[in-house]
Order: sequence, then C-alpha cells, then structure tokens
Amino acid sequence: MTMEKMLVRMENHGADPQMLERNVDFMCQLILSCLPDPPVYSDAVLSANDDSSGGGAEDRISALPDDLLRGIVSRLPVKDAARTAALSSRWRRIWLSAPLVLVDTHLLPPGGEGLPPPDATGAVAAAVSRVLETHPGPFRCVVLACSKMYARRGEVARWLHLLAVKGVRELVFVNRPRPMDVTLPATVFALAPLSRLYLGTWRFPDTAALPRGAGFPHLRELGLYCVAMEDRDLDFILAKSPVLECLGVYWSQRQIVLLRLASHSLRCVQLSMCIVEGIAVVDAPRLERLLLWEMFQDHNYGMGRTRLRIGHAPELRLLGYLRPGIHVLEIGNTIIKAGTKASPRTIVPSVNILALKVHFEVRNEAKLLPSFLRCFPNVETLHVESEKADEPAGKLNLKFWQEAGRIECLQSCIKYVVFHGYGGERSELSFLKYILECGQVLQEMVIVVVNGMFSSWDEVNDKLLKPLDSVKKASADCNVTVLESTIPDGDSSCCLRDAFDFSISDPFGCY
Amino acid sequence: MAAATDDAGDSNEMIRVVSSDGEHFEMPEAAANLSLVLRHMIEDDCADAAGIPLAVVAAKPLAKIVDYCTKHAAKSSGLTIEEAEELKRFDAEFIEVDTDMLYDLLVAADFMGVEGLSKLAVQRTADLIKGKTPEQNRETFGIVNDFTPEEEEEICKENEWAFQITKPPSRLC
Repeated sequence: MTMEKMLVRMENHGADPQMLERNVDFMCQLILSCLPDPPVYSDAVLSANDDSSGGGAEDRISALPDDLLRGIVSRLPVKDAARTAALSSRWRRIWLSAPLVLVDTHLLPPGGEGLPPPDATGAVAAAVSRVLETHPGPFRCVVLACSKMYARRGEVARWLHLLAVKGVRELVFVNRPRPMDVTLPATVFALAPLSRLYLGTWRFPDTAALPRGAGFPHLRELGLYCVAMEDRDLDFILAKSPVLECLGVYWSQRQIVLLRLASHSLRCVQLSMCIVEGIAVVDAPRLERLLLWEMFQDHNYGMGRTRLRIGHAPELRLLGYLRPGIHVLEIGNTIIKAGTKASPRTIVPSVNILALKVHFEVRNEAKLLPSFLRCFPNVETLHVESEKADEPAGKLNLKFWQEAGRIECLQSCIKYVVFHGYGGERSELSFLKYILECGQVLQEMVIVVVNGMFSSWDEVNDKLLKPLDSVKKASADCNVTVLESTIPDGDSSCCLRDAFDFSISDPFGCY
Repeated sequence: MAAATDDAGDSNEMIRVVSSDGEHFEMPEAAANLSLVLRHMIEDDCADAAGIPLAVVAAKPLAKIVDYCTKHAAKSSGLTIEEAEELKRFDAEFIEVDTDMLYDLLVAADFMGVEGLSKLAVQRTADLIKGKTPEQNRETFGIVNDFTPEEEEEICKENEWAFQITKPPSRLC
C-alpha cells in the first residue's frame, strides 16, 4: 500500500482532510530541508558600505574575462541573473552563454518563512517555461520544487523535453505534494547527462517497460524522497547507473523488501524513514559509508526486524546506526547473536567509525551489544545513542560488562567515544564506566546529555562526573566532556547532507 | 586519524613567492599546493630561494592569498563538522573586502588556480549584484549602458518575469 492510498482510506474513514493536508505539508517541509543546498542563494545581505566603494568608479568588473563573469552570473538567483542581461551588450552575451542555474522557489514572491507554498497561480510555472525556452543552455542545475506537476502535465512534458535537449546536469524534481502517487514521467530516464538527481513525491513508472537505452551513464548522486517504488525499480536504477557513488532513499512510500547492493561504483548509501525488511551488501567493492538513520518499523511484516547482511564490502569504513533491538546483523553467512564468538568470518575489519542505537533499559537488546562490537575489531570512533524504552526490561550493571569477555575494539582501538542522549539511567552509566575501565587508547569521551536533563552543572558533577571519576581508567590521559544537546529530537537533516560530503570525516558528529 | 602516519606531510618546506611589485612572501608547501600554478612549478623544481615570480599578482592581493592558502592547507580533508564550520566563518570574514580588492582577488585566484578562493570571490561578487535593479548595478560597478532605448526595452520585455523585484525596497540600497 502506498502512502497516498493510506491517506485516501483515512479520508474515507472520516479523517479531517485539512489535518491530512497539514501532515503532508510537514513531510514536504522535511523533504525540502534535506535537499542539497542549491548552488545559489536568494538571501543576499547587503550592507550600505558595499556600494560606497564602487559607486561611480571605472568599470573594472566588465574588464574581467568572460569565464569569470559567467561564473558570477551562474551564482545569482535566476531573476537577478536574467536582469544582468539589461546592464550592457557585453553582459547580455554573458547571460546567454552562462550555464543556467534555475531554482524555481526563487521565482516566488518574497516573504514567508519556512516551506514555500505551492505555486497556485501558475506564475512560477510560466516563468520556468520562459527561462527553459529562451536560455540556449547549457543547464547546470535546475530545481523544480514548487509546482503541482499533476495539474500541469503539458508544461511538465515540455520542460523535460527542454531539459533533455539542453543537457541538464543536476536536477531536483519534486511534485507538490498530493496526490502523492503521480507517475513520474518516463522521459526523466532519458536525461543521460545527469550527474545529480533528486526526485520527490512520485511513483516510479514501470521500469521494466522503459526503452532499452534508458539510464544514467553519468549519474553520481541520487536522492529518492517519498517515492513509491518496488524493489525491482531500485535494482533497475543501480544497474543503469554505472558510476553512481551516492544513493539516498528517504521516506520510501512503500516498504522495501530487500535492498540489494551490488555495485562497483557506490561509495555511500543512506536510508532514512523507510520500512525495510532487508539490506544485503552483496558486492560493493567501493562502498565506504552505509548510514541508516531514523527507520520506521512495521510490525505487520517480519516482526519489525530488519535483516542487515554484510557480504563483500572491503572498503566499508563507516556504519550506523546499527540497532541491536531491530537489526538482525549477518556477517558473511553468520547471524550475530548474543554470545557469538568472533572469528575471521564474523568480522568487518575495515569499519573504523561505528554508530549504534541501543535501549540500555532492555536487557535482551543490550546483551547483543558485546557481540555486535566484536564484529568490528578496528573501530576508532564509536557513537552510541541511548534510546528511551517504552517498557524497561531489566538493567545491566557494570558486572555484566566485566563478565562479557574481551571486546577487541573497546580494549585496543577505540580512541573517541560519543554517547548521545544520556538520560541518567544506571545502565547507561555502567556502560560508560566500563569503557573508561577497559579502553587502553581512549583519548576522549563526549557525553551529550538530553536537553534539560540536568538543572545545573553541580548536578552534572554529582550525578555523572564524580561516578565516572571513581573508575580506574585504563587510559590515564583520557578527557571526559559533557555537553547538552542542541539538536531537537530526531532532526538529522544536516547529517543527511554531510554524509555525501567525503571531506567531512564523520557525519555522525553533529550534536 | 591520519595524523600519526602522515609521512608525506614531512616536507615542511617554505615556498617563496614574489609579487609583480617585487615583494617577497613565504608559505608552507602544503599551502602553495592549493594553487595549481604553484603546484606545477614546485613539481617542476622551479621553487628556489629566489622565489617564484608571479608577474600579474601585486603584493596586496598576494598577501591575502597567502593568508587564505595557509589557513586552508592546515585542514583540507578529514574535517570534523566543527572544523568545517570554522573554515566557513574564516571565509566569510576573509572576503569582507572593498570592490577593488575583490577584483584583484578574482583575477589573481583565477590566474593562480586557487579553486576555493575563486569560488568565494565569485560568490561575493554575485552577492553584491543580487537584489538590485540594472540601474543600481550600473552605478555600483560603473558599467556603461551601451543599449539604444529600443534595445533596452526589448530586453526588459523578453525577461519581464525577472523585473518584478523580489526584495523589499529597504534592502535594495
């Protein structure tokens, strides 16, 4: 069942349509906030003295080489860019030869915070048509995110035709927002020069029926937001994108039965807000990052569990969030259970940044933690997020950890531990104590406490720092830092963007 | 993580460069490597004690560029999120310059092939153009209008959608 069908059913059962609309709008807001930053911004802040220095001066700017001027025009919101054509004949030529960057929300009237409203009057769509028709190209980046595509099929078909003819390189194509299962025009699959593609609120067409040549030979980054698709559609995309490096699937409208990663180009895969039954890293020789953010559980299927099988992924360096309560971890052909002994066939030696989400108050879940940690003997940075349990079921004390036996990475590799969401529970504290007690090369432990958890630093000192001080540390010069979280619960939009940025070494590091 | 084994960074040599007006500057080799031109000169063994001459870059912009490269070379990959934020703040302050210096930086960064600085200066110039009418921009940058009134009217008509100014008037000047 797709989300749209669910919404229709809710309406039929008497749900307030306005309430539903608001919820869908909220989701749309999340989608837009996770989109990559466009290459141009509309919010220039001009100060008075910017003008004084240049006023009436000789025209040095027009003396700059064409390429530089084109670069400047391509960094302007499209209205400002088009207005430069009226400056002089030189600038007119520059506008017509500068690679086009068009963000349709920049065409909306000013004002309004947050989510830009859908383009109700059609003025934005008309301007989009005008720009795409008259600009000779090339099109560097086109963001179409504020039109109800369903109501403008003719225009949309023409846009896609022009995007194909003028070789668009980066495209963000979001349908606003209901109905949520409008079929994506198949012509999108003919945009061969694309290097970056983000699709939002669509239903995939039948990929089996697409022409043979359809595909993305140059695509490096793909984001699928709120898209209704079958497993075979994802398989199709992966197979037809031979240089794809970054894949993000957010808020899938349908449950993913098995995401099968077999790709010789993928370097980073992110999933967020999806219902996933299984992920199998089958053959991914270049995969460096696998990120599973907030995931939904559907208890009707597979008892709410997600199977994660790691096969051939020799470069996998960053993995998380693993959730012992939900993920059934399988390395090679071995399912990792409480008490599974580490062996060469059950370890992933390449991982050095690992993130875990654990209900420390659920004994059966926390008991899996040592086994999970043993699978990754070379972890240097460990992020642990403590989740509140609805029904606490058994606490774990320090003794449990001391009796768990040797955990290779904790003892000899971990340098940096970040504990997110510390809520003052005894089992959380004993885990932290244990790490301090056994981490021989530990350099820093950062404890991020739940916002508003402690009323004063004296309380932090009494309830957290003092008990930790009583531990005999294995690494004498380890720093312990306590911070209060600044991020509202569940807001991971900035992390989503950071994960595709390979110059940022640890995208789990925002708190 | 990379710090312990980073033997390649052992060449802590200082590279000397000479501006068009004869002033000498020094920067670490890693900083000089951020310039495509300097990197090629270093690879070709053209970096000697006399310094690499930069015939079209004057001392004032060169001093800024040395500053920029030195800051960015210290941390170029494997950034933590805080470090990335700090570099952004540095960039924002760095590019608060008058238009004369801005042109100098645009030309020099382009000539020397310093990609990050080029982008930064181009963005700053775009920010100065943004939100203004063509007349205001002509005044700011001293651009001469060489259109006939008929031509100008035609261009405005062609791009009519773009002339509905999107900024509240108070922020235009």
